[in-house]
Amino acid sequence: MVRALVLALAALALFPNLASAHGPTRQKATETVEINAPADKVWAVIGNFQDMSWHPAVAKLEGSGGNDTNATRTLTLTSGGTIEEKLLQNDPAKKTYKYEITKVDPKVLPVNNYSSTLSVKGEGDKSTVEWKGAFYRGFMNNDPPPELSDEAAVKAVKGVYRGGLDALKAKVEAGG
Amino acid sequence: MPAGHRHEGAYRRLMLSSMAAMLASIAVCVSATSEPATVTEAFVTNQTGDSLTVVSLADMKPVAEIAIGGKPAGIAMSADGKFAYLTSPESKELVVVDAGVRQVANRFKVGEAPLGIAAHPTNGRVYVADWFTHKISVVDPAAGKVVAEIAVGDSPSGLAVTPDGKLLLSADRDSDAVSIIDVAKNVRTATVSVGKRPFGITIDAAGMRAYTANVASDDVSIIDVASGKLIGTVPVGHRPYAVALAGQHAYVTNQYASTLSVIDIGSLKVVQTIPVGDHPEGIAVDPAGANVYVACWFDNVLMRIDTAKMAVTGEAAVGDGPRAFGLFLR
Repeated sequence: MVRALVLALAALALFPNLASAHGPTRQKATETVEINAPADKVWAVIGNFQDMSWHPAVAKLEGSGGNDTNATRTLTLTSGGTIEEKLLQNDPAKKTYKYEITKVDPKVLPVNNYSSTLSVKGEGDKSTVEWKGAFYRGFMNNDPPPELSDEAAVKAVKGVYRGGLDALKAKVEAGG
Repeated sequence: MPAGHRHEGAYRRLMLSSMAAMLASIAVCVSATSEPATVTEAFVTNQTGDSLTVVSLADMKPVAEIAIGGKPAGIAMSADGKFAYLTSPESKELVVVDAGVRQVANRFKVGEAPLGIAAHPTNGRVYVADWFTHKISVVDPAAGKVVAEIAVGDSPSGLAVTPDGKLLLSADRDSDAVSIIDVAKNVRTATVSVGKRPFGITIDAAGMRAYTANVASDDVSIIDVASGKLIGTVPVGHRPYAVALAGQHAYVTNQYASTLSVIDIGSLKVVQTIPVGDHPEGIAVDPAGANVYVACWFDNVLMRIDTAKMAVTGEAAVGDGPRAFGLFLR
């Protein structure tokens, strides 16, 4: 995933971010993982908006507002870039929260207008974590260069989700 | 009585009877061209899936899926329900679908980024908002060509025509305003400032009020159409997309909140919030106001909401990424 981000970074450095436009087609990405652990145990790891230590691409998190609506966090990635995010909805009873990216350099993640939901559903000793997002590509006008295409955006987001979910499974199944 | 007067009386009777005949024919005309009493199908544009799903409303089952291409988003139905008009922004096309035989009947280029679309109730024209060129194209769908262009504000999105066919309203997203257009002249006659980033726009059955869903200010603006004045603003859920009107209520899709806000149009207050699928977008109501139908973009379903119960009572699987931006029932 980090490799994909670095590639995207190299490609994106050449192009400005036209964030004010809204022309292209919104994209979606969903990734899931099954974990051999009860949902409560998984939620205890991922349910705190102010803790992303379970994601291997996140080096540091600084935030405010805790887990209340409109809480914010700034993720510093291992690659050096930052992503600023805001909590939109938090429903611990249903083990789900929704957030949006309020600021990101397309060199870090080639998306615009990104919102995402992370949730856990349990069945006995097993649980399924779903991470899904809606977003536009990094290049907001017609006829994007291939590096800033819809496909590039979807690939980058899926990479973030996959990397996080696989690491989460390993961490929880190893005993949290 | 002088002969002249008798003649005048006969003339008056003739005039009155012919006026009555005219009024009767106008009444017939109006009832023939206004919305049908019932609707039986929904035509849902699946943007990611590049297709159109036809849903049977009686049992909420998909009955056809038609390949479209160009990432279809906007939709309007012809006044007689025989054609669906779709916008495909990526291929810059208007796609005409024969609703009965479920086939693409025609497709042709319109502008640079066609999105919002509305069909006129009587004159046969279709209006297409262009996101990039900031114009509305007036289209003759039978001839397959643009016959006029109307300059409006920045990035026009939702369009709606008053029921009498005299005015066209455009939600000019990046101008935070609504343009009011004289349909006979194809000229903008007024501009009304609304909330931030108005997207969908809906006019009531009397043609008196228009409602815009303002994506960036999380509210709905209500406009008095005749005076061109803003008469109210109602806070709703996060990222509202479009509005449908049923009886005393306005139903608003909130994309990020995954809810419908129900506004009482008398008090201009939200009286109910209904959980629906993820990213609810296009919304339309049946002529009786009994049900509203909502395309849920992330979940790939069309949901039915009973307006008496204010609850979801059915859903149908559709293609990937349904938007159904416009009036999609027939």
